[in-house]
Amino acid sequence: MDQTVIQGALAAAERTINKALHYDAATAQKLATLAPKVLAIEILQPATTIYVAFGNEMRLMAHYEATPDAKLSGELNAFINLARHEDKHAALMKSDIQIQGSSQLAMGLAEAMSQLNIDFEAMISEFTGPVVAHVVGKNLRRLGNWLKQTGEKIQQDTTEYVRDELQLAPHKLEGESQFMAIGKLKQDAERLEARVQRLAAKIKNAAQ
Amino acid sequence: MSEKKTTHFGYQTVNADEKQGKVAEVFHSVAAKYDVMNDLMSFGIHRLWKRFTMEFTGVRKGDTVLDIAGGTGDLTMKFSDLVGPEGKVVLADINDSMLKVGRDRLLDKGYSGNIECVQANAECLPFEDNSFDVVTMAFGLRNVTDKDQALREFNRVLKPGGRLLVLEFSKTNNPLLKKAYDLYSFTALPFMGKLITNDADSYRYLAESIRMHPGQDELKAMFENAGFANCEYHNLTGGIVALHKGIKP
Repeated sequence: MDQTVIQGALAAAERTINKALHYDAATAQKLATLAPKVLAIEILQPATTIYVAFGNEMRLMAHYEATPDAKLSGELNAFINLARHEDKHAALMKSDIQIQGSSQLAMGLAEAMSQLNIDFEAMISEFTGPVVAHVVGKNLRRLGNWLKQTGEKIQQDTTEYVRDELQLAPHKLEGESQFMAIGKLKQDAERLEARVQRLAAKIKNAAQ
Repeated sequence: MSEKKTTHFGYQTVNADEKQGKVAEVFHSVAAKYDVMNDLMSFGIHRLWKRFTMEFTGVRKGDTVLDIAGGTGDLTMKFSDLVGPEGKVVLADINDSMLKVGRDRLLDKGYSGNIECVQANAECLPFEDNSFDVVTMAFGLRNVTDKDQALREFNRVLKPGGRLLVLEFSKTNNPLLKKAYDLYSFTALPFMGKLITNDADSYRYLAESIRMHPGQDELKAMFENAGFANCEYHNLTGGIVALHKGIKP
C-alpha cells in the first residue's frame, strides 16, 4: 500500500486520539509520563507495525529509526479483543499477545487505557454551550447504559437459548470438563507413543 | 574563448549564474501565498509527505537540525518540538521573502528559543564542518543550480553518522498516473497560480522544474557521489514524490 495512504490513516487516527485525550486530562497525564518511550504494535496478519511515541501528544508512526522500548505482537483478533475488555491490564496478561522489551511500558499503556474516561459533555459544550451539552450528555449516558444492559441481556439470552432450548452447545462447566478430559487423553496418547517408540528401539537394538 | 556554463530553468536553458536570480524571483512572487498554494495544489497531501519524512529523521532530544530551503517552516516546527530546549533547529532559506514568512509564522505559532533563522545558499553553507545531526531539504533541491555541490555541502556540515533527507518531486512509472499528473501540472497548476497569486509563470516553472529534476536512481547516485553511505529512496504517491536518505560515514 502506498505510504501516502498509510500516513493519511495514521494522521487521522493520531488526531482523533489526541483530540479524545484532550477531554480526559488524567489519562493524558498518565500517558505523558511514559515519554519519551516508543511502543511497537505488530499485527501479524495482515502484517502491519505501528509505532506509538508517548509525550504530551501521542504520535503514531509507520516507521521508527531506532529500536522501540517495547513490542506487542499478535493477531488482529487478539488486539480487537483487548480493546473490547474493560480491564485491559488483566486482559493483556491473559491474551495471546506477546510482549517483548519493557513490559512496564505495555502495562502502563494498558492501565491508562483501562481508565480512559472521555468527558463527552465538555466536547459537546464547545459547540453547543454548557446547558445543551448537559442535557445531551445526560441522555447520551442514559442511552449508553441502556445499550450496554440490552447488549449483555441479549448475549445472555442467546447463550441460554442455544444451550438449553436448542441443546446445541454444552454448559460452560461441562465444556471445560470435556476439554480437560481431551487434554488428559492427549497427554496419555503422547506418553504411550513415547513408550512404544522406546520399546521399538530396544527390540531393534536386541535384534542387532 | 571560454564558454559560459549553462543550466536549466524549467524548460529553458539559462546561464548558470542567472538561475539563482530567476528562482529568487519565483519565490519572492509566491512567498505570501505559499502555504495556501501548497495545500491547494497537493490537496493537502504535502503534509503527509512531510510526515513520512519526519519518521526517517530519527531526531531525538538535544539534536541539532538544519532545515535547508525550509521556507515557511513546516518541518522546523516539528523538529523544534522533538529536539526540545536542549537542541537547536536552523531554518535556512536562500530567499529572504520565504524566510520572513517562515520566521513570522513560527513566532505566530509560539515557536522560539531553539530555532535560528539563517539566509543561506545550499551550495555554500555558512556552517562549520560536522555541526548537524540531521539535514533535511523538502522541495528545494530542484531549484538549486549546482545540486552536486549542494549535496557535498550537506555532507560537510553533517556530523559523522548524521543523516541527510531530501524530499522532492520525482518520476512516476505508472503511465495512467503520469498522464493525469501531466495534465494537472500543465493546465490546473498555472491556472490556480494565476487565480490565487496572480502569477501563472511561477507555477508553470514549478511543473517544468519537476520534469527536469533527476529521477530516483539518478539522485541516489548523486548522493553516493557526494560521499553518502547506505543511500536509499522511498516512493510516495506512486513516485510523484520520493524521499532520499543518506548517512555520512
